[in-house]
Parts: sequence; C-alpha cells; structure tokens
Amino acid sequence: MTTERITPGMIAAATLNDLNSSFASMERTSEELSSGRTILEPSDNPYGASRVIDLQSQLDGLSAYEANTQDGMAWENTASSAMSSMRTVVERVRELLVQSANGANNQSDLSSVAVEVEQLTEGVKQDANTQYAGQYVFSGTLTTTAPYQQGANDEYQGNAETVSRAVGPGASVTISTNISTLLGNGEASGDGKLLDTLRTIAVDLRGGTAEDVAALGTSDLTKLDANIETLSQLQATAGSATDQLQTALSRNEGLQSSITTSLTNTQDTNVAATSVAYSDEQAAYSAALRAAATIVQESLLNFLH
Amino acid sequence: MSIPTLQGLQTALSGLVAEQTALDVTGSNIANANAEGYSRETALLQPNPPLAIPAISTLTGQGAQLGTGVGVANITRVRNDYLDAQYRAQNSALSAAATQAEVLQQAQSAFNEPSSAGIATRLSAFWSAWNSLAASPTSEAAKEGVVAAGEELTSALHALSGALSTVSSQSTEQFNALAGAGGQVEDYAKQIAQLNGQIKLSEEAGQQPNDMLDRRDLLLDKLSALANVAVTEQPDHTDTVSLGDAAKPLVEGTTVNWPQELTEAAGGQLGALLGLTGPKGALTGLQTGLDGVAETLAGTVNGLLVKPFFSGASAATLAVAVTAAEVQASGSKAPGGNEVAQAIAALRGGAAEQDYSTLIEKLGSDVQSAKNEQVNLQTTVTAINDQRQSVSGVSLDEEMTNLIGFQRGYQASARTLSAMDEMLETLIEHTGKVGL
Repeated sequence: MTTERITPGMIAAATLNDLNSSFASMERTSEELSSGRTILEPSDNPYGASRVIDLQSQLDGLSAYEANTQDGMAWENTASSAMSSMRTVVERVRELLVQSANGANNQSDLSSVAVEVEQLTEGVKQDANTQYAGQYVFSGTLTTTAPYQQGANDEYQGNAETVSRAVGPGASVTISTNISTLLGNGEASGDGKLLDTLRTIAVDLRGGTAEDVAALGTSDLTKLDANIETLSQLQATAGSATDQLQTALSRNEGLQSSITTSLTNTQDTNVAATSVAYSDEQAAYSAALRAAATIVQESLLNFLH
Repeated sequence: MSIPTLQGLQTALSGLVAEQTALDVTGSNIANANAEGYSRETALLQPNPPLAIPAISTLTGQGAQLGTGVGVANITRVRNDYLDAQYRAQNSALSAAATQAEVLQQAQSAFNEPSSAGIATRLSAFWSAWNSLAASPTSEAAKEGVVAAGEELTSALHALSGALSTVSSQSTEQFNALAGAGGQVEDYAKQIAQLNGQIKLSEEAGQQPNDMLDRRDLLLDKLSALANVAVTEQPDHTDTVSLGDAAKPLVEGTTVNWPQELTEAAGGQLGALLGLTGPKGALTGLQTGLDGVAETLAGTVNGLLVKPFFSGASAATLAVAVTAAEVQASGSKAPGGNEVAQAIAALRGGAAEQDYSTLIEKLGSDVQSAKNEQVNLQTTVTAINDQRQSVSGVSLDEEMTNLIGFQRGYQASARTLSAMDEMLETLIEHTGKVGL
C-alpha cells in the first residue's frame, strides 16, 4: 500500500462538512448584516457584550441627567421671570416713593398712591406663588404649599430646604431660591424685608404726618434699596444656577456622543467590511457546491462496460 | 514418479471456487458500501498444501512439490482496533463539549442579552424611573412609574430564574432518560451482551463473525457518545465494557450491570449533564449569580429607604413590597424633598449592575469556549474517522478493480479446466486408435 485509501464515503462526508461550515459562516454574516450588530449574544464577544450593557446603562443615565438638567432649567426660567416681574413692581414702588417724598402731594394723592402700593404688594406675593409643573418654586421643599397667602397674612409658608437636580454622576445643582430672604414675614415681624417695607410704605403714605412723609424719603427708601439689592443677589444666584445647568447640559451632550461612538464601535456591524466578507463567502459556497456536484459523481463505474 | 491424472482438474476447480468466493465477498462489500459501521472484508486466499513428488527427475532422481491450487483460508474484516479506541475517547469528549455548548446556549438564550428586553434594560429603566421621581417628587405618575418599573424588573428576574431552572431540570431529566433503567445505556449494553454471547459461539465453532463484530463495534461507538468507554477483549472474544466511572463493568460477557452510579467524571453526554447541573456546575453558577444580583439590588435600594422597596432576596422571590402611595422620594415629610430618589437613581452602574454584567461576560465566555472546544474536537473526530474509513471503508473503485481481477481469474481458471479437459479428451478419445 503506497497511498492512503480514499473512499467515496470519506469524500462525501468531507464535502458535506465543508458545505455545512461554509453555509453556516454565510448565514452568520448575513445575520450580522441584517441585524446591523456584531454581538447578537454574549458568546459572540463576551467582553464586548458586557461592555455593551455597561455603555447602554451609562447612556440611559446620561439621558436621565439630561432630562433633569432641562427640567432644572425650565424651573429656573420660571423662577427668574417671576423675580424679573417682582423687580418691575419694586422699581415702580421706588418711583412712587420718590415722587411721594417730595412734599408736594396732598393727602388724597398720597392715599391713592398707598392703594397702588397695596395692589403692587399683592402682585409681589402672586409672583412669589409662581408654580412650575404644579410645584411652587419658592416654597423650599414644601412644593405643594403656596409660599404666601393672599391678603393680610404675610407670613412665609414654605421652608428653608433646598431643591436640587442631579445633573451628572455626583453632580447636582441647587435650583430653589429662598424667597423669604427677600420677602420676609411682613410688617408684624418687623424684619425689614420687602413685604415689611411695602407695608410700612403704605402705612406711611396713609399716615399723612410730616414724620410719615419724611420717613418715605429716608428710612423707607433706604430699606427699599436694601431689598432691591437682595433681589439683585437672588437673581444673580438664579442666573449662575442656569449657567451651571447649561454647562452640565453641554458636557452631557459631549459624553453622550462619545459613549454612543464607543457603543457603535463595539456592537454595530461594519457594513462595508461585512458585505465584502459576505460576497467572499458566497463565492466560496458556490465553489463548494460546484465541487460537490461534479467530483463526487466520478467513479471507475463511469468507465467500465 | 506420478501425478494423479485428474489432479489438474482439481487445481482448476480450486481456482474457480476461490475466485468465486472472492467475487462474492466483493459483491457483499459493494452492497454494504453505505452501511453504517460496516468494515470491508477480504477473502484471504492461500495455496493448498502441495503434492510431494518423491523423484520427479529421471536424471537426478530429485523430488519436487507441485502446487495443488488455492483455498480460501478465511474471510476477515479489515479493521484497526487502535483507531477504534482513539475514536471512542475523542467521541466522548466531543459529545461532552457538544452537550455543554447546547445547554449553555439555551441558558444564554434565556438571558436574551444584549437586547432591549433583557434584565439590563429593565434595571436601567428602574433607575430612570427613580430619576423621574427625583425630578417631580410629588407626582403620582412618577411614583406609579417607579413601582411599575420595579415590577417589570422583578417579573423579568422571575422569568429568567424560571427559565434557568427549566434548563437545569431538563438536563436532569435527559440524564435520567439516558442512564435510568430501560434507558439508552441499558439498551446498548443489552445488545452488546447478546452479541458477546453470539460472537463467543461463532468463534468456538471456528468462524469469524465479521458482521456481528461490526455491529458490536458500532454499538460501542454509540455508547462512547454517552460516556467514556473502556473495552477489553477477553480470550473468549467477548468484550468487557466499562462505562465512565461506574464501579463495575457495564457489560461482562453476557451480563449487564446497570443502573450504576455515575459522576461528572464519567465524560460524554452523561458526564456533561451531571457536571452542568452539579453544585459547581455552570447552570448552578448562573442561578447563584442571578440570585446575587437580586440580593445586591434589594440590599442597596432598601438600604436607602425607611420602608423596604423590595422583599425577598433571590431572583425567584424578589418582589415590590410597596404601593405607589408608599413610595418616598425623601426621608422628610416635605413633598418636594427628593434626596432619597436621587440617591437610588445614583445606584445606576453600581454593584447590582456590575455583578450582572460580569455574569453575562462569564456566561458568554463559557458558551464561547464550549463551542470552540466542540469545533476543535469535531475536527479531531472527523480526522480519526477518516483514518478509520481509510482502513475499513469500502472504496467502490477498489472493489470494481478487484471485481475485474477476480472475474478474470475465474475466466482463466475456467480456461485451465478446458485445457485439462481437452488433454484428457486426447487421452480418452484418441488413444489406441492409431491407423484407424
């Protein structure tokens, strides 16, 4: 015996085996192309699969932070526009105050100014009761309670707790404004805050004595200016919170884009390369089919008579 | 000196008979070309004992030996026992790897990762729900959302845990069906024992029972897929068959010792099934790992809450223990407080998720290595089987060539007979007729 014996059974088995494996790899490639993904189950790429899970979760987390940030910005916008409106009111009051303090007004003029100041006071309280998505933005964490009641009661109903939004892993921004540092608890408390000041101005306007008129231009104006300064500070704080949120948002977008790129690189099919591989495999498969159709048919029997 | 007159006829006859037998064997090989487990057979032709002629030479008086034709010494099957042993060892390993790959693949399908319907997605949605609650702590819808996400997560864990249990119990059932009383092992063993008896009788009668030997070898091949097989041929030509790590031989002569205890060291499909479901097996490991994820999840979430959100501490028992109204975003009574919800949302990417993604990675590499091993062993088994086929398989070209040879041999023997006949005719018909 000089050469290994080759039997038709061996050739048939080998041909079938080759056909099967070349068909299987073609099927796999076609699945990658049609699904658009290279990792269809963990065994395709164990490390890649666990990385896909991690990256996907990070991405979900980032979009949650993005939602938080946008929510925080909307909250801040609501609060800021309420404070702008307060500022308009307060500046109107200051204008009236300066006009009333010049001593050229009779009592009925001063009384009608007092009525306007009282209306403006209610306006300030209404601004303080501004809501965002059903939550009072100036009540601290007592978001279901209006910070001020309409009418004579000027007491602050909220608390001093802060409301914050998580904007990134371990990063959060305070979005609440403690409005009681501006508005205070009214005349009864004598705290010199805006509501106290406004109520005092109204009283002084109605009082009509020379001291009252003098107070309008001196102590009342001083207090009002101090209150305006506080309002400016609160507005600046709110503006800086908006800036922080804006920064967080753009950082978040950057991260989302880089993680999406990683995710794509890990799990998505490289369509060009895979298509080329697919046509190679198709060619190999049809060659295997042709070989099976011709070679296995040959036998000595074809030539014996 | 004398050669029997009719000796030539006998010699030609022996040629006819031998060539005819060889042709019959060839015919049988061709007929069985595609029969599973068939080993090609050859008729072993040997010269008949010679006729001793004491003094053939009238010159020197030297004697000689005259051939008296041919006889069929035996009909043997062409087979290499060493390749059989190799084939069976590798076949057991292949069958173990294939079983492992198949069962782990089922477990992997149950996990359904990475996809938008797996545990990872549900877990992520659960953290997002807490995040939404942190954004609107007074919203009833957000609280409902947290409970709904929690329930989806626990029901996905229940389903997965159940699916893993099913895979495990099916493996055990499969083992019992194969190895239990009346199962495939016992069936093969009984057939082998029966063949042992018949082979012994034939051998005692001086015959080589080729077909029965083939059938016994085929059964041993099939048995080797179930567990490791060790075969010892006894002097009486019966096979003593040991299966896996069973204490007593499975088949001894005509006796079958079954059922017996096996462990995962048995190899083959049975060993793999025992190994997968055993205390250190991959399926058990997956179930334990998943329980660990559930326990960590419950522990880390409940640890941040006054009233536990989850009850139960395994994948199968984890449940949401609160109603939407009882979900607290904050430890304080203030409706706008959200520090607890924020802390829970920040558990994203934490221990529970890491444990889960490690579990997926482990499962993936287990399946991958089982599949690779299966492919490698398949190549080995195919190569050994090719070698066996090369020795024992029927080659039609070869048989056709033999057919021609034996046919021509038969024709030539017949021609010799005719020549002898003509010679004798001369002697019988024409002798003593000189001048007639």
